[in-house]
Amino acid sequence: MLKYDVTVIGGGPSGLSAALSADRANAKTLLIEREASLGGILKQCIHDGFGLLRFGEKLSGPEYVYRDIKAVYETDIDVSLLTFVTKTEKTDDGFILHLVNRDGVTSVFTKTIVLCTGCRERTAKQVKIHGTRPAGVFTAGQAQNLVNLHGLMVTKKCVILGSGDIGLIMARRLTLEGAEVMGVYEIKSEPSGLSRNIAQCLNDFDIPLHLSTTVKRVYGHDRLEAVEVAKVDEKMNIIPGTEEIIPCDALILSVGLIPENEIAEDLGVTLDRFTKGPHTDNSFMTDVEGIFAAGNCLHVNDLVDYVSENGALAGKAAAEYVKKERKYAKITIDRTLGYIVPQEIDLTTDLSKVEMYFRSFSTVKNAVLEIKIDGNPFMEKKYMVVRPPEMEKLVLDLSSAGLTENSVISFGIVKKEGDING
Amino acid sequence: MQLKKINENLEKEFAGRVSASLEDNIIHVTGELDSWDDVIKACTMASERYSKTHVVNDIRFTGAEIPETRVPSLNDKALDGKQVDVLVIGGGITGVTVLRELSKWNLKLLLVDKEADLAYHGSGRNDGQVHCGYDLSKGNLKHEYVLKGNAMYDKVCSELGIPFKRVGQYGGTLSDSRLAIKLFCFVKKHFHGIKDMEYLSAKRLYEIDPNLNPGLKFGTLNSSVGVVSPYELTIAYGENAIMNGAEISLNTYVKDMEVFDGVINKVMTNRGDIYPKVVINAAGVFAEDVAKMAEDRFFSIHPRRGTNSITDKKTGKYVKGVTSVKYHDPNAPKNTKGGGIIHTIHDNLLLGPDAVETYEKENFETRQESINVVFNKQEKACDKIKQSDIITYFTGVRAPTFEEDFILERGRAVKNIVHLAGIQSPGLTAAPAFAIDMAELTVNILKETMEVTENTSFNPVRKPIPCLKDMPLAERDRMIKENPDYGIIVCRCEEISKGEIIDALKSPLTVPTVDGVKKRVRPGMGRCQGGFCMPQVIKIISETMGIPEAEVLKGNTEAFISFGKTKGGEIDA
Ligand SMILES: Cc1cc2nc3c(=O)[nH]c(=O)nc-3n(C[C@H](O)[C@H](O)[C@H](O)COP(=O)(O)OP(=O)(O)OC[C@H]3O[C@@H](n4cnc5c(N)ncnc54)[C@H](O)[C@@H]3O)c2cc1C
Ligand SMILES: Cc1cc2nc3c(=O)[nH]c(=O)nc-3n(C[C@H](O)[C@H](O)[C@H](O)COP(=O)(O)OP(=O)(O)OC[C@H]3O[C@@H](n4cnc5c(N)ncnc54)[C@H](O)[C@@H]3O)c2cc1C
Repeated sequence: MLKYDVTVIGGGPSGLSAALSADRANAKTLLIEREASLGGILKQCIHDGFGLLRFGEKLSGPEYVYRDIKAVYETDIDVSLLTFVTKTEKTDDGFILHLVNRDGVTSVFTKTIVLCTGCRERTAKQVKIHGTRPAGVFTAGQAQNLVNLHGLMVTKKCVILGSGDIGLIMARRLTLEGAEVMGVYEIKSEPSGLSRNIAQCLNDFDIPLHLSTTVKRVYGHDRLEAVEVAKVDEKMNIIPGTEEIIPCDALILSVGLIPENEIAEDLGVTLDRFTKGPHTDNSFMTDVEGIFAAGNCLHVNDLVDYVSENGALAGKAAAEYVKKERKYAKITIDRTLGYIVPQEIDLTTDLSKVEMYFRSFSTVKNAVLEIKIDGNPFMEKKYMVVRPPEMEKLVLDLSSAGLTENSVISFGIVKKEGDING
Repeated sequence: MQLKKINENLEKEFAGRVSASLEDNIIHVTGELDSWDDVIKACTMASERYSKTHVVNDIRFTGAEIPETRVPSLNDKALDGKQVDVLVIGGGITGVTVLRELSKWNLKLLLVDKEADLAYHGSGRNDGQVHCGYDLSKGNLKHEYVLKGNAMYDKVCSELGIPFKRVGQYGGTLSDSRLAIKLFCFVKKHFHGIKDMEYLSAKRLYEIDPNLNPGLKFGTLNSSVGVVSPYELTIAYGENAIMNGAEISLNTYVKDMEVFDGVINKVMTNRGDIYPKVVINAAGVFAEDVAKMAEDRFFSIHPRRGTNSITDKKTGKYVKGVTSVKYHDPNAPKNTKGGGIIHTIHDNLLLGPDAVETYEKENFETRQESINVVFNKQEKACDKIKQSDIITYFTGVRAPTFEEDFILERGRAVKNIVHLAGIQSPGLTAAPAFAIDMAELTVNILKETMEVTENTSFNPVRKPIPCLKDMPLAERDRMIKENPDYGIIVCRCEEISKGEIIDALKSPLTVPTVDGVKKRVRPGMGRCQGGFCMPQVIKIISETMGIPEAEVLKGNTEAFISFGKTKGGEIDA
């Protein structure tokens, strides 16, 4: 049986970075990818805007990820494509992975695992869309795949539900391909995509954005013929009488991403109820020793640059992993935050540069992030505005914070006092 | 009931707007009503449960326009002039079970269905429960055949290579009346032939399923209840019939018949005229329409919609078999029975169905109200399952007569037709059994005019498409070494390989659509609902069938997925 120090599952940007940094730390590394080529979801993201933070350049998805793919093939990392992890077993000193590929079923031993399995899209049924079940209902990523990788035109006239980034990008993409995008409908009272995407994908193409509006039903037996949209109140309940039928041939859904963590769950990893990704410490190790997580399966990112960075940290931590007694301080958030990653601090690690990612629960202008340790103010950080669609990154020095095993680090967002305009 | 009494009742309720008449042992209800619920009420008032004197609904319904039957867009002459011994109309479980039984004889057999695949109507949209019949009393066809059918399932499913499991049905009650439950069990077991009927103490109930809500007092158990995938079974029956010489023609709609002197001479379809010796009416919710074409309409079907939800496999652990809770809710609206919770053969949970009368025979729309009705009821049995666990939902339409029993008989006014109508629940359970008797009846009718010999080479065994994810690793390894396509996973949720998809496309009844592949080997049935694999399935269909990707359909002839190539798309990816 082949033996590895680090096995990275998933060959998207997080997996590539994780594998590269594990290799750099001299770990014998295996990178497993289910599809026929590396690159993950970026293979189909042919628009630009990737890499501004990391490379200071505006690259397309394939261009961005090609740099890491090239780097991987220049190392000794074993890459196993078209390979699926079917079963996992925990042993005393690591894990046995059973892999399925064209050669048959093989098993490898690995000391550590870095989960980089990305996420999947929420579907029509998960957002309670009713009516018939015709052809022509696509998730945005599925439509993107069909248009960009298969060269298939999926619509002539469509409605997009959800103002997530992928939906916004597809609104522009389909318009460029000659389709009429009747509008983007968003159930929330504010858009859930990045502001730059609202500007560049909708405003520049005169595509209307309808807030506090949702799609209730679809019509059409074989192919979609129309959708019924309706306004919603603050509690997101449909306001009767506001229904409107919009004839179209496709409904494209950009209604959220769900981290893919089936392998993690099989291995007994606890998932965080806010991120839907694994509960991890500041080395991005889960509560199962030796299993790490990074990228979109950890929490849904909006910028790939952060995904790569996060993958590199997790890959390095996995390479340096040794079994030992650990002591943890807890992290808690109040209801002003949507989530925070990590959820625990391992006190036996270097605490001088702890990377954290969070999202606010709602939009707050002139916001202050308050960090307390055991109820005592530790630090404050000011933001012009925090918005749920925009993930925030923090780097904290906790080395002199006096953390002990029972410490609780709590996070909350408040509005800056004295401000009356916000 | 006497006609006079019926008319008195109708008069009282509808003030002269409807009335009933009796002719040739058929009760015709006529008049005009604008509410469908009233139509159902009037016909029900005129009918007697399990009677062979059926109600025919001739009431003019003015409340809405009843939609026309959906027909395939295809028009050709592929079947024109074809002479067959038996023409089966309907590719649901009823039609295919009879077809397979008939293939034990040397006969020219043809089954037609208007849809692009088998099991598109009731047989693909039900609970997949093999019932024990404990809710039926003695003395009707449903009761007779549910018992016979249930007993046949192990053998039939093993012959056809379809997974089947007797998971048992158990339920608790919130009522205090232990005696009533015990008495019910006693009567069912000793007087109604429900041999597996058992009383359960609360202790045993929770031993069977510790995840049921606390507070249930006691309940019942029927260990013969099983689960099966109804569309997989229907397809398997169809394939086995094909292996034994029968023909199946899909996208084929029977639009009319030529009847002369009580005999059907010719059956007209969108693919040409067919000349059968005997016609089998297995048209489900359209059985009345087919009977009408045959000039032998002596019953009516009143469609009854039911919606089911399917939850993520992760919830499968909460319920091991089939369960529901019995309680009395005086406020429950009529017609909103909430079904049960079923651990399906693929380890998801299925919740439902509800029951709503409808004039639309093939409206498979779902509505949030239905989901709510079912969840409100089922959370009384197990509240661990949440609406957020739902991965999909679907609607099926039941096909009851007003007498609420099956009709399994030779035509009344027409000699060469056999009606298998009113096949509502437990039709899936009963079909394997009644198909044997109905095939025998058909052969006897044929024997009146021809000699019929046994098909000595009949082979009951259908080899299933291998399911690699369930194999031991060593066997899976061997299979992949023989065919490397079995090693390429296309559907990550259900772990389906490219090889299995190609097998589905090369099976005896090829249905080269995304839905056809999904029904046979499950890509797209999992939690991502095809988000990832659908584009890949399109590619595999295109490559295997030699058709462009742009021509691959979702299902029916008009269910196209794309409008051709993108601007730069001629350069094939
Ligand atoms: C459609 C879409 C559009 C986006 N657009 C932008 C944008 O415009 N700008 C931007 O900065 N960011 C964008 N993002 C976000 C960013 O690209 C993602 O956050 C990033 O791609 C996530 O990387 P990842 O490695 O975590 O996951 P992915 O890129 O999804 O990679 C996961 C990989 O894991 C593999 N895998 C999964 N399970 C298994 C298994 N069991 N065995 C083997 N392999 C497995 C998958 O095949 C896949 O290749 C977009 C994201 C999506 C989904
Ligand atoms: C929600 C629901 C749950 C149920 N649960 C269960 C259960 O758990 N257990 C159980 O035993 N039973 C159950 N049933 C009942 C069971 O599904 C039916 O009894 C059974 O599927 C009926 O099969 P069928 O072949 O008679 O009809 P169908 O499957 O409806 O087939 C009729 C076919 O005829 C075709 N057809 C009609 N007219 C024409 C025409 N003119 N030309 C060509 N083709 C035509 C249609 O296209 C259709 O495919 C349930 C039913 C429903 C709706």
